Amino acid sequence: MTSSPERIVGTSPVKQRRSGRGGMSRNAGSDVKAAYLFIAPAIIGFLVFVGYPLVRSFYLALTKYNGLTDPVFIGLGNFRRLFTTDPAFWPALKATAYLVVLYVPLSLVLGLALAMFLNQRFAGVRVVRTLAYLPVVLPAVATITLWKFILDPQVGLLNTILDRLGLPTSLWLQSPNTSMPSVVLVMLWGVGGTMIIFLAALQSVPTELYEAARVDGAGSWAVFFRITLPMISPIVLLQVILQTTAALQTFNQPKILTNGGPGFSTNVLMLSIYGNGFPTLGRIPQLGYASAQVWVLFIIIIAVIALTAKFSSLWTYSDNTSD
Amino acid sequence: MKRTMGVAALACAGLLVATACSSGSDSGGSSSGPVTVTVMTWESAETNVAIKKALADFKDDNVKVQLLDTPSGQYGDKLASLTQAKKLPDLFWCGNDTEQQYTSQGLLVDWADKIKNGDGDFKSDNFVPSAMENWKTADGQMGGLPSLMNTYGVWYNADAFTAAGLTLPKAGWTWDEMYADAAKLANKNGVKYGLVADNLTSGDGPFTMSMYSVSAGGAPFTDNVNHPTKAEADDKYQEGVTKLVAAIKNGSVAPPGYDAANVQSLFAAGKVPMTFGGQWLAAGFQTDKPKIKYGFAPFPQVQTPTTLYDSVGICTPQYTKDQDATFKVLQYINTKVWDAVLPASPVAPPAYTPAQTSYFDALTKAQQPTVADTVKADLSAEKTVGVRFTTQWAQQVGDLTTANYQPILSGKKPVSDLPAYIDKINGLIKQGG
Repeated sequence: MTSSPERIVGTSPVKQRRSGRGGMSRNAGSDVKAAYLFIAPAIIGFLVFVGYPLVRSFYLALTKYNGLTDPVFIGLGNFRRLFTTDPAFWPALKATAYLVVLYVPLSLVLGLALAMFLNQRFAGVRVVRTLAYLPVVLPAVATITLWKFILDPQVGLLNTILDRLGLPTSLWLQSPNTSMPSVVLVMLWGVGGTMIIFLAALQSVPTELYEAARVDGAGSWAVFFRITLPMISPIVLLQVILQTTAALQTFNQPKILTNGGPGFSTNVLMLSIYGNGFPTLGRIPQLGYASAQVWVLFIIIIAVIALTAKFSSLWTYSDNTSD
Repeated sequence: MKRTMGVAALACAGLLVATACSSGSDSGGSSSGPVTVTVMTWESAETNVAIKKALADFKDDNVKVQLLDTPSGQYGDKLASLTQAKKLPDLFWCGNDTEQQYTSQGLLVDWADKIKNGDGDFKSDNFVPSAMENWKTADGQMGGLPSLMNTYGVWYNADAFTAAGLTLPKAGWTWDEMYADAAKLANKNGVKYGLVADNLTSGDGPFTMSMYSVSAGGAPFTDNVNHPTKAEADDKYQEGVTKLVAAIKNGSVAPPGYDAANVQSLFAAGKVPMTFGGQWLAAGFQTDKPKIKYGFAPFPQVQTPTTLYDSVGICTPQYTKDQDATFKVLQYINTKVWDAVLPASPVAPPAYTPAQTSYFDALTKAQQPTVADTVKADLSAEKTVGVRFTTQWAQQVGDLTTANYQPILSGKKPVSDLPAYIDKINGLIKQGG
């Protein structure tokens, strides 16, 4: 949004520095004011909805605060409890990590596979693309609730079908061993969101590269690994960051499907934060403690993104040749 | 122009005065008019209609009653928000735990003197004694009054019992009989588990297990759910846990993690032959009319009848405008409103005993004799145990239970690990969270 000095004052930089006290004309000053006015809503929004909550939550993380009485400063007490005595914290971290490890690679592989399939020309491809993307625009709570019924081990649709086919059934959401994979299964229902970005990336790969590869006699696998994947690697990086961030903040699926159970098997960090900050009726909120958890999650997300970005140059393609 | 400005200024001033008069007085009213007492419930829309109709009959020239039209969902979140904003209505539905916690924080009006030295029949003597005792804080305050009692027992599918050649559960049956019945009912006719007992396997499980030990002459899980000084798992308690572990292991009882959200529908559909539950399910069954023949039995026992204690009530924030007016409405709800509401929807017996007649009459009319008998037996039970801690650190106990107690029930940890779990809870009790 910045303008060059020439454009502002209509003269050379040297002349500009010599003219006036601030080096800018009266018009320039009014332009700057206008610029600040234009970005003011964004700045105010950021300060009110991000800046202040960030600072406030850090302060609350250092207090014992239940929302009913004034916060009491306890220093690092909440963090000490988190890392040493809370029986739910480490399982929450473990569940979150398990979800990320399961969901992120699967969503990338499935999203890319679906995008490659839908990047072909065949009759009805547009309809199939729409159908693949449809779960993303459907109301999440409604679809997740539907999945809960489908996965019910006793009267659910999935077990009924498996049973009719003579295949083994499962406890799905009600067993600590299968609950997280079941949650991930439901999350993958929305893989159309990943697919659509990959599809855009695939369509931007120059067709000449494919033609040249075919002329050189490259097979499908070679084309995929030596042309397609390197060319879309910046988008893959973007997807890794987006999906990892989303996975670390997963809330809807475990909240509706399992409420964190059985045991702590699906009690991901976001759910644990919610449970402490907004407990069930009759329990007192632990807002200070939940704020401490929020900061742990915040630091984890920053660290994961920073590491991903740092090592991305090892596997992402960039065209460094000068034009 | 000047005149127009003057009129506009006057209009603005008038608006400001009007706004100032009305601001922050949702429950107030002007000095000359009647006081408005606001009421918020967690009831369904249908029950709220009945309550509203009954409240319309409240006659007092100086008091106006307003039932707030709020959806019943997410009541806990709503309560927390209103509490933080200091906008709680004059009378709001609350659990025993909320009453204890809020009173200890000085947030509620103490009705102890008023109910002890009140006029007429509306006195503590006329309430269920265990409810009055449990609604008192350690220093004798009462931040609210119990309104409805929750009693618990075992709902059973009489058709399934008959088909399996089993005797129907009734007062005096034993824990061993219950587990034996569950084993015979499991894995038959689309049924997976013979017994779904969320109260035994969820976060409240350790407290429910107290019924076994107390009935056998042993010690409860904790000496007091409101002001505990210790938790313990004596030999009798461990015996009860061992039997439950065995029943879960052989597949007759649903394990921890079983989603009990739909158990009422599954029971009505004949897919769950026995389930622990509260008396309030009767109201739902009366509406939905399950196709199975069902009954409600008291909890099993070892030697002495023992049951769970729980009640809900109505609380008042410290900043209520007129305590006398609020108490009048509170009295009216406890003495009159249930008479109008319970016949259509017999959810629970009132804690104010003279008002219980309408509840039992409704059950009799609905031909639910086993429910009436079991509720009566529960209310008069000599030994009761609390359903959960009501302390501020109760949530931490829930996490300890998930981490230590439930794995014992699932067979992932040995029963001999119980003392370690108890030690951790005693640590919490000692440091007060």
